[in-house]
Order: sequence, then structure tokens, then C-alpha cells
Amino acid sequence: MIAARVKSPPTQSADPIQASPLAWQPALLASFLRLYGTLWSHGELDQATKELARIRNARTVDCPICKAIRFSGARREGLTEEIVAEIRDGYAQSGLSPRQKAVLRYTDVFLSAPGELSDELKRELLVHLSPGELVELTAALGLFMGFSKIAVALGGLPDEIPVHEQPTPDLPPPSPA
Amino acid sequence: MSWIPARAEGANDFERSFGLRPNLFAAWRDFAARLWATEELDPTVLELCRRRIGQLHGATCPLPPGIAAPPLAERKAAELSAWWRSDAYGETERACLRFAEQFALEARGIGDGEAAAVTGALGDAGTVAFVEALAIFDGFARFARILDAGDGA
Repeated sequence: MIAARVKSPPTQSADPIQASPLAWQPALLASFLRLYGTLWSHGELDQATKELARIRNARTVDCPICKAIRFSGARREGLTEEIVAEIRDGYAQSGLSPRQKAVLRYTDVFLSAPGELSDELKRELLVHLSPGELVELTAALGLFMGFSKIAVALGGLPDEIPVHEQPTPDLPPPSPA
Repeated sequence: MSWIPARAEGANDFERSFGLRPNLFAAWRDFAARLWATEELDPTVLELCRRRIGQLHGATCPLPPGIAAPPLAERKAAELSAWWRSDAYGETERACLRFAEQFALEARGIGDGEAAAVTGALGDAGTVAFVEALAIFDGFARFARILDAGDGA
């Protein structure tokens, strides 16, 4: 376990995000929650595909909290734990669909060497994803990776957290006037 | 030019690509712009880290529309690719650049000493804003690189 580098601000909130170090910057946190809610619940790309990429990222960055979370919308779209178990090294030989494998390959290139995307994978991605879906997936990867790294960099997380389901992020309710 | 076979309206490839998902791009612009208005962060430090992460990835995270890059002293800009050999940078700038590089390359490898140097300089609230900025600089430098969709700057 990496020791906590930043303490959380004093709060009465039971919400784990509002009680986290991110609450030191309430305006940034509110804006991020709008961004994340837009990504997950007001997008073009299906939630199960985003979740596939998110979990692959979580395992690569090795963020305990990101690895443990399952969003309910992706579950409803059929992303079972059996499929999640296939998101591991060697997925190319798994029973995942060609579309799922292409998304995972793209995720790996994004995380390891984004300048080395092959023409063959570009062509394959464009078979499976519309331009808007591809942009959304790429932006999602930027956010998944960035915020997994924030969790790791700020420390204070246990090494293992049990897998648990959470509601899919959506736009937060408007602040009271 | 981006390899994605569609374009939205925009001033550069980044905007024309991200603009294919307009509500998401609008939410991103709001978040990214707020990072530059955070009172605990020196815009020069942010700009040094944005450019340095861009050097590592071969593409720089574009600035959101309406945000201008703060000017950098000539030596700080010129010597950034080997900042650790230069005396052009102050103590906080060096601590933040060291942390930013490690964040972009392997966040698990950030040592307690590297983190303490940043939290000591920026405080808790400043450190949180700083890592959020790094997340955007890293994530969207990669976005620009993998889609060939930079801002042309």
C-alpha cells in the first residue's frame, strides 16, 4: 500500500468522493463529475465497451479502486464477470468478439505507445466503431488513465478492494441556488 | 491530419476531432479551463509540465479554447527537454517536473520523496489540482497523438 500523500479535507459527507482528497477543489470536482457523467450516460458508445476499456486500463495502471468497481449500466448491457475475466494478457486468444479485442488492443496502444498505432488496427477500429464512438472511446481512455493515475499518485488505497457494483455515473443534480 | 474519416467544425484537428462528440467536448473544455484558473497553481509550472509531458508523448495536450499559454522565459522553454541539467528552474518547478514525468511514464513509480516535494510546495489543495492537471495533460496528449489530432501549436 502506498501511504496517503494528501489528507482529505474535514467533511460530514458520507459520499466517498466528497470525502476524498478531491474535495479540496470543489469547483474542479463538480466539473469533473459533469464530465464523467456526460461520458458515461450521455454518450454514443455503449457502456459495456467503455467498461471493457476502463477495466483494462485499471489493471494496467494497477489502481485498486478502479479494478474493483463495476458500473451497473455495463452489467445490464451484458458485461459479465466471465467477460471481465477475459480482459487479461492473452485476450487475443480468448472468446471475446473481434470488436472487443480491437478495443482492448487500442487501449493497450493508448496506454503504452500512442504514437505506434498500426494502420491495420486503424482499419479494424473503423469497421467496428463510428467516428464519434472512436473519439468518445479515446477521450474515455484519457480520463480513465488520468484518474487511475491520480488515485495511485495520491496514495492511501488498500492493495485489494472487493469487486462491487456502483451506479453508472450520470450528471449530478444541479446545485441548490 | 487525423485518420478519423469525419470532421466537426473547429479551428484545428483537435477541435475538429473532439467536436464529433460535442457535449463531451464542451464538458472537457469546462474542466480543462478551470485547471488554469486554480489559485493554488502557478500557470508557469502548469505550462512547463504540459510541454514536458508533450515532449514525452510526441504531442502536447491542447489548451481549451479561450485559454492562452503563459509565456515562458526563453531558457526555460529551450532547456526543458533536459531540465534536470539546467539551472534555469526553481525548486518548485523541478519538483513538479520530476513528479510530472513519473506520472506520465509510470505513476506507480512516484516515490514518497518525490510526492513530499510537491505537497510541501503546493499544499494539499494545490497538489490535488496539480495531479488533476497532469491527468488531463497526459491523457489528452495521448489523445492527440493516437488520433493524429493536435492543435498545430
